[in-house]
Amino acid sequence: MAQSFPEDVLVHVFSFLNCDKDRNAVSLVCKSWYDIERSSRRRIFIGNCYAVSPEILIRRFPDVRAVELKGKPHFADFNLVPEGWGGYVYPWVVSMARAYPWLEEIKLKRMVVTDESLELISKSFKNFKVLVLLSCEGFTTDGLAYIAANCRNLRELDLGESEVEDLSGHWLSHFPDNCTSLVSLNISCLVSEVSFSALERLVARSPNLKTLRLNRAVPLEKLPNLLYCAPQLVELGTGVYFAEIQSDIFSNLAEAFLGCKQLKGLSGFWDVVPAYLPAMYSVCSRITSLNLSYATAQNPDLVHFVSQCSNLQRLWVLDYIEDTGLEALAASCKDLQELRVFPSDPYDAEGNVTLTEQGLVAVSEGCPKLQSVLYFCRQMSNAALVTIARNRPNMIRFRLCIIEPRAPDYLTLEPLDTGFGAIVENCKELRRLSMSGLLTDRVFEYIGTHAKKLEMLSIAFAGNSDLGLHHVLSGCESLRKLEIRDCPFGDKALLANATKLETMRSLWMSSCSVSFGACKLLGQKMPRLNVEVINERGPPDSGPESCPVEKLYVYRTIAGPRVDMPGFVWTMDEHVSSRLSRATE
Amino acid sequence: MNLQLELALSSNLDEGFDLNDRNEERQEENSRLMKRKRSFDETFEEIKSVQVPQTLSLLDHIDLCDEEDRVVGWPPINSWRKKICHHHQNRRGRNTIMNYVTVENGGRDGGERSGGRSNFTYVKVKMEGVGIARKVDLSRHHSYQTLIETLMAMFDNEKVQGYKLTYQDKEGDWLLAGDMPWETFINSVQRLKLLRNGH
Repeated sequence: MAQSFPEDVLVHVFSFLNCDKDRNAVSLVCKSWYDIERSSRRRIFIGNCYAVSPEILIRRFPDVRAVELKGKPHFADFNLVPEGWGGYVYPWVVSMARAYPWLEEIKLKRMVVTDESLELISKSFKNFKVLVLLSCEGFTTDGLAYIAANCRNLRELDLGESEVEDLSGHWLSHFPDNCTSLVSLNISCLVSEVSFSALERLVARSPNLKTLRLNRAVPLEKLPNLLYCAPQLVELGTGVYFAEIQSDIFSNLAEAFLGCKQLKGLSGFWDVVPAYLPAMYSVCSRITSLNLSYATAQNPDLVHFVSQCSNLQRLWVLDYIEDTGLEALAASCKDLQELRVFPSDPYDAEGNVTLTEQGLVAVSEGCPKLQSVLYFCRQMSNAALVTIARNRPNMIRFRLCIIEPRAPDYLTLEPLDTGFGAIVENCKELRRLSMSGLLTDRVFEYIGTHAKKLEMLSIAFAGNSDLGLHHVLSGCESLRKLEIRDCPFGDKALLANATKLETMRSLWMSSCSVSFGACKLLGQKMPRLNVEVINERGPPDSGPESCPVEKLYVYRTIAGPRVDMPGFVWTMDEHVSSRLSRATE
Repeated sequence: MNLQLELALSSNLDEGFDLNDRNEERQEENSRLMKRKRSFDETFEEIKSVQVPQTLSLLDHIDLCDEEDRVVGWPPINSWRKKICHHHQNRRGRNTIMNYVTVENGGRDGGERSGGRSNFTYVKVKMEGVGIARKVDLSRHHSYQTLIETLMAMFDNEKVQGYKLTYQDKEGDWLLAGDMPWETFINSVQRLKLLRNGH
């Protein structure tokens, strides 16, 4: 049967399959479909770089053009993963340089990237087009100079929110004069000033440039120059949005924006001077994505600006928007799908703004398409959460951060179990959930019972006992990523659900009650899991086996234990006991 | 001179500043509070078992502003947003905490709070070794005695003995509390710190 279709036909049919899930499914049908699929797969996504090795990747997929890799666990964003933990891209680049000379795209998230890696990338792939580095670190602007100089067909350079050692802005001048292929450039994370004339010339000779995100150092007065060079821009990240109040700066800015008929997305706005916001009014009605989360504008300027954007689909903003601003948003932006409200003063327990649960309730009422929420606030009630859940059964991502750990319902002083329970019960498509506030084991029971599509769950300062963790691990069928900090979860739930961990990408537990003995047992019994203990204060066996480990990271892998671990990471496998005792000799 | 955090009279207390005497005076005004000389941790035990008065719970503010006071990784914002947070603080001029310590004369009026003044006399209190700082409203106190009692109730999870109370004055210097009259103290104090004895 498998012979009846010539291979060419199958290759052609498979070329229409772009999603990994479909490709994985067809490769299971029979051996020849497996072989055809693997030789025709061009795009690879690896959600945990330690789940597989470069050699295994290359062995199965011989002709890949785009690779996406993720390194550190998500909690690394909040400084919970110690420096030097890992996630090095260099070994991948070395192997791929040999095996994939036609590689075009590399996208990395939370990985350590060195200048050496960047140099190797720039010299190994003749048709290299796309480099995306999100929340990466380890490289300097010298590395960027290699990319600029050597990648003749570069289309996309996106530095995300990476930590770049900024030696100078000179690297930008390394783009050769005949490089005209840029479609997307994001340098917003860089601190140093780049040569403005080099930037201007680069933008001017890039007719396909659609996304330009500048860094803070680009002055507002110069922005019109760039806009005139690139009126076709779809996404703009301004530099600093601050200047002395002068009418000619304003009029230049307004006129330049008038010419940007394609503009759909805005970001940047550092040090914003509200007087200059109206310069953008001509584009507001077309804006679908607005990131004001670095803008220190307050109401009424802030809400006035946002309300102009009637077609807004995505808004990221600081809590300066306040409840009143969110009420106005709910009234004017009926297409809103995603809202993120960040804290302007995260370390002040009292808060300086009037942003409460009311704002979120209002948006949930007024915006029928709202499906993705990230909300930092200082008070919440079960009643509000129930209302939000009933208003928005279409919610897909719900992340709520009440700033004070273990804060109860501020009206009733009860735990917020009922509220989050309503969220998971009503929002049947919920894929991602982050919880906060006072929560008992009961909320985990609700989650285990109802959250059947939940893929990622983040828990902090919650629960009473192992029962909580057990509910989640035994009930959440679609769970892929679980990250937990400061919860009284221990050995029992973990060991009882060991096989569940093989169905997930990863589990992170820090400042919990998982004992060293349980970690050892888990590592020994589950060879397809890497069970890694992170203990900065000393080897985990320096105390009794019942002693809790500081941090635990468990993930499934076909690559075996890591070989690049720093001193504070111990892998729990069948050799762990002898390795530890040798280390203390 | 050491202002020991003990209600028991210590022999090295200065003349004219006898906690014990003040203690006797205070008893009449605050009869529900401590009635005999006790050591610090004994007092704690007592406080824990007594219903904490409403007024004290209103003072229980948490302030995580200093780097050193924060719980690691909480609230969950990434380093880019943290940089903006610091930047905001600097741009707004003085930290809101600092702004709270403009104490007018008479700010100590029998501990009465007038609505308009409610925030003006908060100072930050940090205890050495404790991750989270607190804030205390100085206008509700009229003596070191009640201040100490409040502080002891505030850090109620710590069994502490032999801490001394220090404060930072307007010039930025750190001094031992108790050296000067209460009124002078509250006019000058910017923040408080409880240090272990021996430092």
